[in-house]
Amino acid sequence: MRFKFSLMAIGLEVVMIVLFGLFVEYDIAHQVNATRSPKTDQFLQLYPLFQDVHVMIFVGFGFLMTFLKKYGFSGVGFNLFLAALGLQWGTIVQGLLHDKGQNFHIGIKNMINADFSTATVLISFGAVLGKTSPIQMLVMTILEIAVFAGNEHLVTNIFQASDTGASMTIHAFGAYFGLAVAGILYRPGLRWEHKNEESVYHSDLFAMIGTLFLWIFWPSFNSAIAEPEEKQYRAVINTYLSLVASVIMAYALSSLVERRGRLDMVHIQNATLAGGVAVGTCADMEIPLYAAMGIGSIAGIISVLGYKFLSPLLGNKLMIKDTCGVHNLHGLPGVFGGLASILAIYFGMSAGSSSMAMQAAALGSSIGSAIVGGLATGLILKLPIWDQPPDENCYDDSLYWKVPKVRELDPQFFQHAHHNHLEHEV
Amino acid sequence: MASKYPRSLRCCLPLWAFTLQVAFILLLCFLISSDIPQMQQKFMVTYQVIPDLTLMAALGFGFLSSSFRRHSWSSVAFNLFVLTLGVQWSILLDRFLNHSFIQEVTMSLSSIQTGTMSTVPVLISAVAVLGKANLVQLAVMVLMEASAFGVTRLVIKNTFHVDGHIFTMYGHVFGAYFGLLVAWCLSRSLPRGLDEEAQTEKVQMATSSSLFAMLGTLLLWIFWPSFNSVLVEVPNDKRKAVLNTYYALAVSAVTATSMSALSHPQGKINMVHLHNAVLAGGVAVGAPCLLITSPWVAMVLGLTAGLISIGGAKCLPVCLNHILQIQNPGGIHYTFGLPGLLGAVTYILMNKYGIFELPSQLINDFGALSFVLAMGMASGLLTGCLLTAKVWRAPHTSKYFDDQAFWEFPHLAVGF
Repeated sequence: MRFKFSLMAIGLEVVMIVLFGLFVEYDIAHQVNATRSPKTDQFLQLYPLFQDVHVMIFVGFGFLMTFLKKYGFSGVGFNLFLAALGLQWGTIVQGLLHDKGQNFHIGIKNMINADFSTATVLISFGAVLGKTSPIQMLVMTILEIAVFAGNEHLVTNIFQASDTGASMTIHAFGAYFGLAVAGILYRPGLRWEHKNEESVYHSDLFAMIGTLFLWIFWPSFNSAIAEPEEKQYRAVINTYLSLVASVIMAYALSSLVERRGRLDMVHIQNATLAGGVAVGTCADMEIPLYAAMGIGSIAGIISVLGYKFLSPLLGNKLMIKDTCGVHNLHGLPGVFGGLASILAIYFGMSAGSSSMAMQAAALGSSIGSAIVGGLATGLILKLPIWDQPPDENCYDDSLYWKVPKVRELDPQFFQHAHHNHLEHEV
Repeated sequence: MASKYPRSLRCCLPLWAFTLQVAFILLLCFLISSDIPQMQQKFMVTYQVIPDLTLMAALGFGFLSSSFRRHSWSSVAFNLFVLTLGVQWSILLDRFLNHSFIQEVTMSLSSIQTGTMSTVPVLISAVAVLGKANLVQLAVMVLMEASAFGVTRLVIKNTFHVDGHIFTMYGHVFGAYFGLLVAWCLSRSLPRGLDEEAQTEKVQMATSSSLFAMLGTLLLWIFWPSFNSVLVEVPNDKRKAVLNTYYALAVSAVTATSMSALSHPQGKINMVHLHNAVLAGGVAVGAPCLLITSPWVAMVLGLTAGLISIGGAKCLPVCLNHILQIQNPGGIHYTFGLPGLLGAVTYILMNKYGIFELPSQLINDFGALSFVLAMGMASGLLTGCLLTAKVWRAPHTSKYFDDQAFWEFPHLAVGF
């Protein structure tokens, strides 16, 4: 992949620079004299939230995908690469769509929205993790962000639906897009347990870093593009309560479905975040506190159940192999969030302009465009020119990275091998 | 002889967590209105500090205690569980204790903030108990400790007139001694000598998990100035709090590293000392940080805290383990307990009063401190006795500090 990948990436980057040169200008033209114009004020207001979102995208999502035992480098490394590329492309596409092809100015809101658009790619990346080459990921980034920007434009400007925390436009969209791609790219050779598709003790701990970063900053994510002050305030409180409730529920359910009441690390890593995903759409609506916590609890429950029962079904019956289980973390809770927003509007909890029909249309168009776009992207990615890794080299860093010869950090582990035997269950 | 297999939590934990969560939702529904309070300040001013606090509580404390070789998953994940439970219960308690029932109370960002602050003592004591308790026991401990802490706060505020900032800083002492006594009760109920042998191997640290613990330490270290200045209202005082904490932390980091090297025969630095002693300066400077007007005082305090912490880590385990039978593998006693006491005493001595009211004020302040200590110990003892009950299905001694008792390992992978 030496020449193909590098030349493609550099070529794309040059295209980006040219596009930026043609269309994009800074938003600071008129404030030479004014010391504190409203624009600078907004910039300083939103900058901390932008930082939080940035940490979530690069550290949170990156480390969340390090759980595979031999795929940690790729998880973090490609995450950085895709997000950095995606945010440039997202800026361009969103700006062009919003301003009908004119030159446009970028400010802090564009930065936040560009980060959001990369989140969809990272979610889909989770679904195909380990089975694709960087070139395929690169192509997927470009295509997915274009479809995402189109759908988002449709939802916010034409349907005028409310989707502050983007449960539908980012989470559900990204998850179903990824599932569609994974479905097309399905390979019978990977159907049964691949020898590298498992975690080790420390890789799961690394993934926990990602989970915690996402968990901590989720209120910022859901409130970043809400209307200032009161709605942001509401969004933070609702998201926080929902997250808190989903943590407790995730622990309870995980212990319920596993043998002998033990916990499963996969559930803890993912289902604890489901509350943040699900509450996204109605985060800034005037929902009562118990509704926010209820949404979080239910999201935690369906996420764990999805991991336990739905993922094996998807993998074996529907031929969709979802590596990270994004369907359970982003797909189901995202759809649930959309439905919850319809209910919230039905009970008159939204002061906004959106109606139930428009929310439903937004949900439908997000899922529909995700599936159609995903299928098309999947077909393009299936072309044999993108260097897809062979079956036996899936989930393995050494194909793309220079890896140290000895993988385990601590030789002392092997001295205590007698602890490795499984205790017999009663 | 008890069964060698870990006891099943399958009916116990889900039921307990589910009930608690439903109870919280119902209580919140009836007691706290969802209106947005009148905003005194801009949204960002109030919000900015919350991610910092949550980051310290979830990531910092979670990874701080993850240095045990076979217990890292539980340390991190149980910490998150304790945090979420503690915050919800603290928000509710705050409403019970500080407002009458008819009063309309709104949910605000500051209630999340105080909720997180009052959960910090619980997280500290959870570090002391981790490895010996299961999630059900931890949940009981959270409820008990948060309630005890809330009651203590109420009494301190009304009787001794100590303000919120100082009391929160006393929380380190409260949490540390509460945790120590719970750990003592848990280990006392076992036959003597049995647990030590089982633990020695598992308590040893491993290189990579020590690095994880360093991650937690560093995050705590970085955000400690935010923690010490959260509850300070006056901008000038806030600046003092941040600056003093900053310098005290820097000094205690240097002291910890050098003293750790000095105390080893070959001059080697002990990573475990670093995890704990580096933070001692921040803990010690917490209470008096508003009274200190020049950086050198804070730096001296940081130096003393670092010395005490390393000294404690070197000498105390000997007498604690063998005479009092208190297991303190997480080192909270000399990270939070002793430096917290140092800070509290410094605060009391530095408080400048008029000449005539000196004795009464001094007595009042010492009274407050000893009340906090006494409450911490008494409630810790009570909770510890409660936790030894059979109904909680405590893990078996041979499973102490072992993730296998609590987690599903589909792979039983190499490297564990």
